[in-house]
Amino acid sequence: MNKLYLWGIIITAIMLGATYYTVVLTKGGLNGDIVNMLAIAGAVALVIITVFVVIKYVRQMQTDTAEGELADESWDNIGEYKNPVPMGWAIMFLGTMIWGMWYFMVGYPVNAYSQIGEYNEDVAAHDAKFEKEYASITGDRLVEMGESVFLAECKVCHGISADGIDGKAANLNQRIEEKSVKYVVEHGSNSKLLGTEMPMPDRNGLFNANSGALITDAEIDTVSKYVAEGFPANDTAGAEVFAGVCSSCHGADGRGMDYVAPNIREFTPALVTNVLTHGKKGVIGKMPAIDRLNAKQKEAAAAYIISLSKGE
Amino acid sequence: MENRPLEYDYTVAKMFMLTTILLGIVGMSIGVFIAFELAFPGLNTVFGEGLAEYTNFSRLRPLHTDAVAYGFTISGIFATWFYVGQRVLKVSMAESKFLMFVGKLQFWLYVVGVAAAVVSLFLGYSTSKEYAEFEWPIDIAIVVIWVLWGVSIFGLIGIRREKSLYISVWYYIAAFLGVAMLYLFNNMEVPTMLATSPAGESAIGDWLHSVSMYAGTNDALVQWWFGHNAVAFLFTVPIIAMIYYFLPKESGQAIYSYKLSLLSFWGLMFVYLWAGGHHLLYSTVPDWMQTMGSIFSVILILPSWGSAINMLLTMKGEWQQVAASPLIKFMVLGSTFYMFSTLEGPIQAIKSVNAIAHFTDWIVGHVHDGVLGWVGFMIMAALYHMSPRVFKREIYSKSLMAAQFWIQTLGVVLYFTSMWIAGITQGMMWRAHDEFGNLAYSFIDTVTVLHPYYAIRGVGGLLYLVGFFMFAYNIYKTMTAGRAVEESELANKSPMGA
Amino acid sequence: MFHWLEKHPFFFAVGVFVTIAFAGLIEILPNFAEASRPVIGTKPYSTLELAGRNVYIKNSCNACHSQLIRPFKAETDRYGHYSLSGEYAYDRPFLWGSKRTGPDLMRVGNYRTTDWHENHMKDPEAVVPGSIMPAYPWMFTNKADIDTAYAEQLTVAQFFSVPYNKPVPMKDGSTEIVKMGNSVAEAHALALEEAKAVAADMKDQDVKDAVARGEIPEIVALIAYLNSLK
Ligand code: HEC
Ligand code: HEC
Ligand code: HEC
Ligand code: HEM
Ligand code: HEM
Ligand SMILES: [Ca+2]
Ligand SMILES: [Ca+2]
Ligand SMILES: [Cu+2]
Repeated sequence: MNKLYLWGIIITAIMLGATYYTVVLTKGGLNGDIVNMLAIAGAVALVIITVFVVIKYVRQMQTDTAEGELADESWDNIGEYKNPVPMGWAIMFLGTMIWGMWYFMVGYPVNAYSQIGEYNEDVAAHDAKFEKEYASITGDRLVEMGESVFLAECKVCHGISADGIDGKAANLNQRIEEKSVKYVVEHGSNSKLLGTEMPMPDRNGLFNANSGALITDAEIDTVSKYVAEGFPANDTAGAEVFAGVCSSCHGADGRGMDYVAPNIREFTPALVTNVLTHGKKGVIGKMPAIDRLNAKQKEAAAAYIISLSKGE
Repeated sequence: MENRPLEYDYTVAKMFMLTTILLGIVGMSIGVFIAFELAFPGLNTVFGEGLAEYTNFSRLRPLHTDAVAYGFTISGIFATWFYVGQRVLKVSMAESKFLMFVGKLQFWLYVVGVAAAVVSLFLGYSTSKEYAEFEWPIDIAIVVIWVLWGVSIFGLIGIRREKSLYISVWYYIAAFLGVAMLYLFNNMEVPTMLATSPAGESAIGDWLHSVSMYAGTNDALVQWWFGHNAVAFLFTVPIIAMIYYFLPKESGQAIYSYKLSLLSFWGLMFVYLWAGGHHLLYSTVPDWMQTMGSIFSVILILPSWGSAINMLLTMKGEWQQVAASPLIKFMVLGSTFYMFSTLEGPIQAIKSVNAIAHFTDWIVGHVHDGVLGWVGFMIMAALYHMSPRVFKREIYSKSLMAAQFWIQTLGVVLYFTSMWIAGITQGMMWRAHDEFGNLAYSFIDTVTVLHPYYAIRGVGGLLYLVGFFMFAYNIYKTMTAGRAVEESELANKSPMGA
Repeated sequence: MFHWLEKHPFFFAVGVFVTIAFAGLIEILPNFAEASRPVIGTKPYSTLELAGRNVYIKNSCNACHSQLIRPFKAETDRYGHYSLSGEYAYDRPFLWGSKRTGPDLMRVGNYRTTDWHENHMKDPEAVVPGSIMPAYPWMFTNKADIDTAYAEQLTVAQFFSVPYNKPVPMKDGSTEIVKMGNSVAEAHALALEEAKAVAADMKDQDVKDAVARGEIPEIVALIAYLNSLK
């Protein structure tokens, strides 16, 4: 075999190997996606055609000789043969031109195709496929799905381990941090955590039923620690303040009351969904609403977060 | 008088050879630097936090593209024109004081323009449009320089002895006209100092600032009508002008087919301009315009390959020359890369393929197949061929040239294979959904996965740059230490040292 | 014919010019009027936002970031609704970009917030480990160029009839007015008012102090611009 062909095959093999490698590198590979397949087919065609067409001409350099009738003119001693154009080239040029005209006028229905129409169909197919599947996703599978949502959407802010990256966003491994509780008690909160407008009053609206006075600085510190640490049974001072100030709304155990105040002891699907729907503004910063998630994805994200704070 | 051989005057050609080499070094060094910045972002601040404003990736990227396009490539085009033009028209610059003056004026204005462009880009003056970043005063300078070049071209043609225009001249004329038209329309800007406030204040704010005459989708259309054809009329048309002269000249072979030259030229002129829509696939421009861009891109394969095939066939039966001469190797491999990128481009212009390729490194790979393997190789080959003739000295070292060839070829191969993998991988990852119908990857996952390929690309670029320094050194030594040569040695094949 | 042209350079040049020129007309002109019509809900940029947009251009953020969401499921999942032509009616120049080294930013105002941008622009790696985006700390001290942004507003209002100080229709049927100052001083006052709202959500004390003094650091303008991308 000629050395050239060997080189051609080696180069082609390298490029095809590289292309194959890209497919393997991607989760799901070609994924049944027609766009992926066409792109890979294009890449493969590109390598094979170029390599073997070039080899064809290089072979002619090796074996053929230049000949033909020279034109009369020469420029700075450069001559010019009157050779005809290579037939294959001419046919293909003509062919692509005819194809182009045909495609534009007839093959491609000039105004009937619409990329938005194509998109709509694609989305409909995608939704139909997953809508059916969603119903059966529960329990551990739901947590798994939530993790995938979290890794794609949330980790830029909350960090890959959901720790809030040094206080840049909420640490989701626990229900709430001390400084957040303290801030909320001092300044109130108004983030539609219940899904509707339902603000919590600031310290000027928080009475301690036991003392009959407004909540004090010391009491704020005590109760913030108590809430942030997850209502420890041995913290009687905290429990006392909580019972006096907070329980009327958040319930005796801090698990909230419908339409009154949210659960501040643990994450609930409703709470997370509300945060994702309305966003949240607090002492740490502002979390945007993540509108593009559908209801199932929000539910899944909640399941994942709940699993985190349970220490699993 | 009539019988005395013509003494061509290469003064202006030499000046532009110098800027080709200098700006090539500048542009490619920045290219290598920004390539490594993507692999190792710490390099953004390697010159100190204080200078990072000027040395970070985003500030430097336009400097790279403009230095190689408007610096290296345009200098190369001018240098070869002031060489080839005289020879194929059989007329010397020395015959016209006026043309000589215009040529030198063009050069010095060009130097001033380049300096202004570099400083303004460093300072962050940019209109953001790719390959048209310059603010309006530099646009004006560019137009003046371009008009002067036009005067040179048509002035020389006006006093020519050779009645009929050689193929290379067709392409230089086309490059001149194309760039003039495109550049003017894409740079229609209104300087903001023209506005007056209701309170009567005028000349408010920065006098260099301007706004585009076009908005949104229209601006995009004009920009990519320009951008695509800037590629055509900077990186393709004038480079074809070069190969049509330097390959037959160096090899002593006659052009394979006049008819093929003719059809390729007019085909290219006709088809190229329609293909700009392929930069706007799936954007907000109407579907029919996008489709037209795709169709013409596919048709464009043939007029592009026509020239390349004509060149390869010109070397028919001359394998021993290819094997023996690194100079011819540059040109033959250049044609091959030209074929590769003009098939790659049309494939990437197919809508479904572009859905993956657009916005990824596969495009960057495509770009550099063309600019490194074709533009860079051809310009260096041209300067190698010119050097013995303008300096009257033998090329300093053939073995250095051969080493350079292999190093740079390896560089290009590393560049395009790494970007091929990076681009297709990223394109596929962006599209991937997982078993739950969620996006499979967050954006950052698709960034970190590219790290090794960015590193390999950087190495590839570095090899190419090393090769370019070898080239610069070889030319420098040719000028200063090459053996003086006789006129008779210069008919075809360039004389080379060992 | 071609042989003749090759001997008559003037006609040769005319031939080339005609061949290359008319494709452009057919490709560009038909859509010109239509594409420049704004869709409902698209507002002109405020002075501060425009100043921020110029910071974006000055630093070539468009070298890495696109602002064009293509109609693919994967893309609308990631970035939101696909782009519409009229949404760009006030973009001079357009900033679609051609390379996504970083994510698309067309609607980043919907899913990132002031404090996040603040952390991210100061040190991307600290927020997004593995990020290759450069840090832009000098934006916290460089001052935004409000004068030039104001000159730009005046220019587009005078030359291209961009509706400043006029009611613009919104999606919910209401109208909004984007104000533009009558003088440089008034433009500064308007920009500062907006800057204060942004700075209130920021953490950097130097920036807050600067705004309190009446200065506007580049980062404040840039964030105002990023937040406006919706
Ligand atoms: C008058 C009713 C009321 C009382 C009393 C009350 N809260 Fe609340 N609390 C609410 C409401 C309503 C919300 C939800 C506000 C929102 O949507 O942002 C809330 C929210 C919170 C949150 C924010 C939860 C999160 O995820 O960020 C914390 C923490 C909290 N309360 C702690 C307390 C503590 C501690 C006390 C007692 C010192 C207390 N609350 C007393 C009504 C109350
Ligand atoms: C642009 C940044 C950002 C993104 C993206 C983001 N978050 Fe947040 N998130 C925050 C910030 C900041 C807070 C803290 C707000 C505060 O209380 O100060 C927060 C708070 C929360 C809370 C509330 C904790 C509490 O105390 O009530 C939940 C739950 C949450 N995020 C879940 C998510 C989930 C799930 C996602 C992804 C689907 C997500 N976040 C995406 C920035 C973000
Ligand atoms: C070298 C390339 C590069 C440059 C230049 C660059 N970025 Fe980025 N950008 C990235 C990458 C990569 C990411 C994704 C990782 C991350 O979030 O840091 C990103 C993310 C972002 C995001 C977050 C978007 C999202 O959806 O999470 C914003 C906002 C942003 N960049 C703004 C800017 C601005 C403004 C500039 C210019 C001043 C800029 N970038 C310059 C590469 C770049
Ligand atoms: C038949 C010829 C060619 C066709 C049809 C073609 C097609 C394309 C396509 C489809 C893109 C990508 C657009 C996108 O998705 O962003 C592109 C980009 C590009 N091509 Fe080509 N290409 C051709 C030849 C060349 C050659 C020979 C060169 C250089 C020597 C070149 C240089 C470029 C450059 C610089 C870009 C990047 C533009 C940008 O900044 O986005 N192309 N080309
Ligand atoms: C020394 C070798 C070179 C290296 C390492 C290099 C590197 C780079 C890098 C890193 C980019 C930015 C890609 C990105 O944004 O992801 C780039 C862009 C570009 N380079 Fe080079 N470059 C080199 C030589 C050249 C030469 C010689 C030319 C032209 C003659 C050139 C033309 C371009 C163009 C047109 C772009 C813009 C591509 C686009 O926007 O799609 N480069 N280069
Ligand atoms: Ca300009
Ligand atoms: Ca580009
Ligand atoms: Cu193009």
